[in-house]
Amino acid sequence: MPTLRLLPAQLCIVVFAAVWSAAGWAKDTGLVFVSNEKTNNIIVIDPKTNKVVKDLRTSRRPRDMHFNSDHTKLYVACGDDDVIDIIDIAKLEVVGKLSTGSSPETFGIDESRRRIYVSNEEGSSLSVIDMDQNIIVQEVPTGAEPEGVFVSEDGHFVYVTSEVGDLIHLIDADSGNVVQDVVVGTRPRRFAATPDHKELWVSAELSGEVYIIDREKFTVEGKIEFLPPGMRKTDVTPVDLRITRDGKTAYVTLGHAAHVAVVDVPTRKIQGYILVGKRSWGLGMSRDERTLYVANGFGDDVTVIDLKTRKATVSIPVGRIPWGVVIDD
Amino acid sequence: MIRFFALRRRRVSKGASPATRRLSCGLSCDTTLPTLSKRVRLTGWATADLARRFNRCFVADFAHAAFLAFVAVLGLAAPVVAQPAPLPAPPRQHISIGYVEIEGDPRYEPIRAYERLVLKTRDHPFTGAQIGLDEAAALVRVLNTEFALERITVKSPTEVASAVTAALEGRGVHFFLIDAPAEAFKPLAAAVKGKEVLAFNITASDDGLRRDLCAHEFVHVIPSLAMRMDALMQYLASRKWRDILVLEGPLAADAETVKAFTRSAQKFGARIVADQHFKTGTDPREREQNNPALLSAIRGNYDVVFVADEAFDFVRQVPYHTVLPRPVVGSIDLEPVAWHWTWEHNGAPQVNSRFDKKSGGRRMEGADWAAWVAVKMVVQATLRTRSADFAKQRNFILGDAGFDGDKGLPVSVRPWDHQVRQAVLLAAPYMVVGSAPLEGFLHRTNELDTLGDDEPETSCHMNK
Repeated sequence: MPTLRLLPAQLCIVVFAAVWSAAGWAKDTGLVFVSNEKTNNIIVIDPKTNKVVKDLRTSRRPRDMHFNSDHTKLYVACGDDDVIDIIDIAKLEVVGKLSTGSSPETFGIDESRRRIYVSNEEGSSLSVIDMDQNIIVQEVPTGAEPEGVFVSEDGHFVYVTSEVGDLIHLIDADSGNVVQDVVVGTRPRRFAATPDHKELWVSAELSGEVYIIDREKFTVEGKIEFLPPGMRKTDVTPVDLRITRDGKTAYVTLGHAAHVAVVDVPTRKIQGYILVGKRSWGLGMSRDERTLYVANGFGDDVTVIDLKTRKATVSIPVGRIPWGVVIDD
Repeated sequence: MIRFFALRRRRVSKGASPATRRLSCGLSCDTTLPTLSKRVRLTGWATADLARRFNRCFVADFAHAAFLAFVAVLGLAAPVVAQPAPLPAPPRQHISIGYVEIEGDPRYEPIRAYERLVLKTRDHPFTGAQIGLDEAAALVRVLNTEFALERITVKSPTEVASAVTAALEGRGVHFFLIDAPAEAFKPLAAAVKGKEVLAFNITASDDGLRRDLCAHEFVHVIPSLAMRMDALMQYLASRKWRDILVLEGPLAADAETVKAFTRSAQKFGARIVADQHFKTGTDPREREQNNPALLSAIRGNYDVVFVADEAFDFVRQVPYHTVLPRPVVGSIDLEPVAWHWTWEHNGAPQVNSRFDKKSGGRRMEGADWAAWVAVKMVVQATLRTRSADFAKQRNFILGDAGFDGDKGLPVSVRPWDHQVRQAVLLAAPYMVVGSAPLEGFLHRTNELDTLGDDEPETSCHMNK
């Protein structure tokens, strides 16, 4: 009996120790990683100096990037070699590869199940990859040119956009079946979820909108249209978006309109626009939510925005056609 | 007549993961899918596996309810209202799109230097329509509608009209892709006037079809000659290559091209310094007309040489043979086109790759793009109106709707002459040099209307 009474306490200690040591291993280098589609590299920037500290060669056409939970590894989808490169953050080099379907673009990681869900732009499918065995365990057919992937917090559902089908697929992660679709605007691209798990925001690039999906009902319950001053509706091509941890503010890149929109999430009102570079797509936000990095696809640079003043402070040249930004902090 | 139904059903994915087998009915109904189970429609390619799971749940729920009802009847003798049976799924709708082409159409004969030296192979743009149809496969489930292409081959351009009316009256086909030269359109316009037909012109770029024929039942998806010449002229003007030597071929189409080019030159402030008529041959008595060096040895300077040569014969010897070292544009080297296999923006590489796979290696061209977009318009009209009603679909296509043509700005139908406004690519053999409208060419409402006949510039005003 005494052993039984002790067990929860022991468990607590073990769990605490595990968390503590995991935090200890994480390096929190603060480094900023920018994937570049045309130069097949990731440019690593030191945010303190805004200087390039490493030009990291990857497989061809690196695009979406995600860290594992303790930030020891960075996974990078490389579209022209049909692989996800695994980068060791301590060494800053590629240490492994996972095979994907044809032309992987974006992906989501479910570490509890050791799975990666990756959209295959050319293959019109979502590949489910077993991270440990490095095998595709399932191939889920989607509409043409699937792009954005969002894995629900409990891991039960995966949301995927089809750029050509103008659809969001809701996929049951356990069975790998599309269980429902919802129609949104033209060329849906990426997702951001509100921290209360109630809404999923989806950018529709060609119709220049962000659609808001009620996750429980899986219906469109609103949309936001953008128009920075001096721009035409047709210039507005939203792609990437982020919502702050307090669920109050969203940032949306507007592509050819060369601005980032700032949206008040509860009221869905646009608070302002920040001028950035040409064809602004990928977004990265620092953990303290003070700095935003914007990849400018046609400017071959990254614009750094101070979120307190909501002004661009500097633009840093990177590789050709920068796609996305992630930060190790 | 050949009928060809090209719709492909998506293959159902097999649940391969062990998780699938472990999942019990109770879990999926009660916890995993709390509200979804009632709304999931098991049509299209949702898997049979899932269907079985839901059916089991339904059976369990039904048995439970029946038991409760039984208890209620026995024990309480209260009236029990029978649950209405679930409505049967509405029958799937079918939308057929006619594709009308002409057998032995000379426009698709290969261009040869000699009998066995083929310079360009050419083919009907049917594959373009097929990739449009393939993309719609994912929507079958959402719309409960299947799309199909009906390929109709006739003997001559004059028979296009009767084939269209026969398909309309006999089989209820309303949408047609017309793969025919300009002469097919006048009789077609007369035959379908006022009828429930929308005919997409995917190959004929003649300006007269837009300006003079001006028929409500047509949508001109392929850019007009005027649009293509304006695009080229915008590029020349943007480079400040404003003095132009024109070399004009002997065909009627060459004269039409030069006419459109001259109009564009006036529009964008360029000068045609000379218009030389060439002849193909080696006759020394005609050397003033068949020798590119002599043709280009004119008094005065020019920045660029424009050649109109529909036959694609003489033009091959113009580059590097001019007296002055000048770029050659028009029928060779820099051509204004609706689509090019090297266009790498706006999602174009994915479209080119799908086309390449479907066609077995042919490179996608302007007419293929037009066929693809025409099918997309019909699919989008069905998706956005949530209807298979022709009048609603037609109004949507002809309305303000923008369609994704993978060329940047959304494409849409001009209300005055039913030309599809779109970007025009300026293609060198291995590179798209620019996309018109070029930066700096402004318009009060839509930059795309700087190309071709803007509303005040045409004699066709269907919107008035």
